Amino acid sequence: MADGTTGAAASGVPARRAATRGGALHRMARRRSTIAVMMCLPLFALIAGLVVYPFFYSIYLSMLSREMDRFIGLFNYEYLLTSDTFHLVVFQSCLFAITAVFFKALIGFILAHVMHNISGRDQRVWRGLLLVPWVIPPALSTLGWWWMIAGSYSAVNWFLQLVGLHPVAWLAITGWARFWVIVVNVWFGTPFFMIMYLATLKSVPEQLYEAAAIDGATGLQKIRYISLPLLRNIISITVLFSLIVTFANFDIVEILTAGAPANSTQVFATYAFQVGIGSGNIPMGAAVSLFIFPILAIFAIFILRGVNRRAKEAI
Amino acid sequence: MSGATLAGGTPQPRRGRRPSLARERRWALWVSYITLIFFAIGFLIPPYFEIVTSLKTSEQIGSGRNPWFVHHPYLGNFLYIIHNAQFQTFFLNSVKITLVVVVVTLLISVFAAYALARMRFFGSEGFATGVFLTYLVPESLLFIPLFKVLAALHLINNVWCLALIWPTLSVPFCTWIMIGYFGSIPRELDEAAMIDGASHMQMLWRIFIPVAMPGIIAATIFAFTVCWGDFLYPLAFAFTSTQMTLTAGIVSTLIHGDVLDWGKIMAANILASAPPILIYAFLMDYYIAGLTAGATKG
Amino acid sequence: MKASTKSPRLTRRDALKAGAAAAALPLVHVQTASAAGSLKLAFWDHWVPAANPVMKKLVAEWGKKNHVDVTLDLLSSGAANSKLPLTQAAEALSGTGHDVMAFATWDVQHYHQHLAPMDDVVGGLIKQYGPMDPVAEYLAKVKGHWMALPTSIGSQYKPTCARISFFKSQGVDVEKWYPAKPGNASTAAAWTYDELLKLAPAAKKAGMPYGLGLGQTTDSVDWTGAVLRAFGGELVDAKGDIKVKSDAMKECLEYFQKLVPSLPDDTVSYNDASNNRALISGKGALIFNPPSAWWVARRDAIKVAEDCWTFPNPTGPKGKFVPYLPYFWGVWKFSRNQSAAKELLSWLQQRDRVQELCNASSGYDIPPILSMHDFKVWETEKPPLGTLYNYPLRPWHDATTNVSAAPAPAHIATQIYSNATFNVMITKLAKNKQSMKEVLDWAEREINGYINM
Repeated sequence: MADGTTGAAASGVPARRAATRGGALHRMARRRSTIAVMMCLPLFALIAGLVVYPFFYSIYLSMLSREMDRFIGLFNYEYLLTSDTFHLVVFQSCLFAITAVFFKALIGFILAHVMHNISGRDQRVWRGLLLVPWVIPPALSTLGWWWMIAGSYSAVNWFLQLVGLHPVAWLAITGWARFWVIVVNVWFGTPFFMIMYLATLKSVPEQLYEAAAIDGATGLQKIRYISLPLLRNIISITVLFSLIVTFANFDIVEILTAGAPANSTQVFATYAFQVGIGSGNIPMGAAVSLFIFPILAIFAIFILRGVNRRAKEAI
Repeated sequence: MSGATLAGGTPQPRRGRRPSLARERRWALWVSYITLIFFAIGFLIPPYFEIVTSLKTSEQIGSGRNPWFVHHPYLGNFLYIIHNAQFQTFFLNSVKITLVVVVVTLLISVFAAYALARMRFFGSEGFATGVFLTYLVPESLLFIPLFKVLAALHLINNVWCLALIWPTLSVPFCTWIMIGYFGSIPRELDEAAMIDGASHMQMLWRIFIPVAMPGIIAATIFAFTVCWGDFLYPLAFAFTSTQMTLTAGIVSTLIHGDVLDWGKIMAANILASAPPILIYAFLMDYYIAGLTAGATKG
Repeated sequence: MKASTKSPRLTRRDALKAGAAAAALPLVHVQTASAAGSLKLAFWDHWVPAANPVMKKLVAEWGKKNHVDVTLDLLSSGAANSKLPLTQAAEALSGTGHDVMAFATWDVQHYHQHLAPMDDVVGGLIKQYGPMDPVAEYLAKVKGHWMALPTSIGSQYKPTCARISFFKSQGVDVEKWYPAKPGNASTAAAWTYDELLKLAPAAKKAGMPYGLGLGQTTDSVDWTGAVLRAFGGELVDAKGDIKVKSDAMKECLEYFQKLVPSLPDDTVSYNDASNNRALISGKGALIFNPPSAWWVARRDAIKVAEDCWTFPNPTGPKGKFVPYLPYFWGVWKFSRNQSAAKELLSWLQQRDRVQELCNASSGYDIPPILSMHDFKVWETEKPPLGTLYNYPLRPWHDATTNVSAAPAPAHIATQIYSNATFNVMITKLAKNKQSMKEVLDWAEREINGYINM
């Protein structure tokens, strides 16, 4: 149906456009912005009521004293800026989010390509298998991970001992603990990247690759000159989205390590929780969470500008 | 083989490249399968471990014997979960709320994305960016003020409050996917349709939605997964087990203090993951079909 | 109470409040409660399955008798499950929700400004049954007022739970130290931190290292806090002065330096489920935990359970301290039915009810009222018979209850507790090989931050 409409309309365009452009389009344009605003209204209401209003309320909250009976301005933020532990949290959050997102994007990109290489029926099976991590509710799958790796008698250590190696206290050594929270996050998030990239790859006309192949392009060159430019927008958006979500991640770290050892795996959300709910300083907890905002907002605006610009160029 | 036929179809196949092209294809296929096998094993170790654990009694789990294998599968954990009225409620709650949220998400985001992609209006670009920025405000910050909002609406401890809240998790991203898809549709199409006298609704329905079907399915999948797996909101806004969804329900009924019922947690986890897996298996075909249809538009 | 005198027109609720304040016991007459209508309670969801139905039954019984429509919601909390604290925060800030809320260890201090004083209820119970545990008092009192009622439900000690056979193999009979009958202080004194340290390498060598964690969750924080007190150390004293650089602190940290190598390799990443796992799998010679681990062992690994004996923590140079983590029931200020709520809570903590609830929890709950430590349930739980006899503190134990970070002023203590500051210090010193000076300097800076916060 879509194709029918498309074809017919497209063929008629050049001839009619000149004649009717002035009147019809002009009238359309006037009505257009009203309709557009109407169409955006539900989205606007949703965001204003359930995100923006609570957000400003949180800002207000972050400027109160621990007992929430005094307004103390930016004191909570000043305090955080001088706290050793908070510096560690910022460092670990960046390390965690950037590394995890990098590997999610990279592995997702590789998987999307190799998946694209294989044929229909096979692809369906592999796709299904590789999607599994993404569909298990993360709070629950992380519990499973914990049970699998934590402790000297965990399943992973059992296996190590079976092959004659010493058990490792995976979550007790700073480096390994950081490694595992990243691994679990990558495990959970990669399928999402894979599927987004695969979807975009599918919309790339096969002829482009064939033409390139005939011109003697190697696999890497094909990726460099065809896939990457075409995937640029979707990569930007998924990376940005994932960066934000990973920065704000709570479940995985809280369940796997709760910040241990010695706060070395603590990220924004878990630290905010520890300060806000754990030590009952809700305003300070809010301030910790709100610190994410300026850091990521800069990233976000930068990336989204690029996406918007490219989208316009495409048109 | 296929490489050769394809190359043959081009007007001037360069001689000498043909065998290497075929070889390259075969090689690529090998590499692809090896990569897939490698990652599939890696990805499936944790679920495999969960299945094994779910088939053990808590006595077997605690014994420290081979955690990777089960000699005498025990179905008690699954039977317990399936026959437990509480879990049936969690399950039904999850299903109905998630479905409602998926529909609401699609309605909101498709309309908004159409407006933002095609009809410029004052502030539309800023708004489009702003929509995405909502993710910068994490759940762990929002739940306290949201509790206040929900209390004012008398929706605390009511599972339907999630139908209101969850779209904040799903809509922004879905709107962005849809803006992207709509943006890639050539402008000539809608101008032509407009000149033919099609209204915006007709255009949306007849042109945009069919063409952007893969995007819509991607959005559906995303909305479904995000809501199904959400943990913090259902945990924070419901007190009684009749008003809980799966994730919160499983955690709050099977974890008490330092006592975790691993066999049942794993069994519940597997049962909770089954519907998304089934839906994916089903939707993905449509997704691919949508993509193929989209591709023919050339 | 002030409001009622200020307001020119005395509303009925004010009158009720005044009445409640005036009458010591019964707090409110049945009449007023029945006039009131409905109550919504959020109690802790007990992990012992049999305990919840009893609570439901009791609450329903009271509601029926007093014609109050009572709703009871059970909120769980635990490893990876923060349902209870989330709800507290949300209700406190939004000023809506239940009338009565359960609070764990530090939560009363977090939300006291949103709670109605309970001096009348607690005062009444003390008059009836004698004193409350001092730790419960420290945690529930703000500026001299009881802001919540310490309750038996969920309140727990974290004493030693040891494998009898392991200690026998080292020539020690723990059942002699702490027999399942009135004992004496001299045998009880044999269990010291030196003894703990002395046997630690053997335990590790036998493949059963102590299941003691140095992580950042409560089980880990509680036992190290008790060790510190037993050495006479504190991070911050009752006046709010930092006491990090004391000799007692150094002595205690040096003790940990010696002990840590014999603890499990993953000790610093322990969470509240790890020590249970160590005991139940039969690969831990000892843990400091309430009887929940033993209870699960009884269900899943009976051989291990039969070999467990529970008794107070070791003695240090400055005495014997046992971690106590009481739960509380608080009434929100925004509750419209405070008098009925108070009456119900007081009724639920009468000796008969406490005993019934305690029996249902297999003796897990430790009543905050000291005179209630003589229930039969701790003598009859098995196997082995009497294993829980020394779970509640007995007079000849010569032990003091403790909560980590005490006696610091509460707003500092709660941060020391939730940040696991002392455990981070131990980790830095014993695992990350930082020098004593570095660690103490770090702690001083960190705690200074808590004080200014």
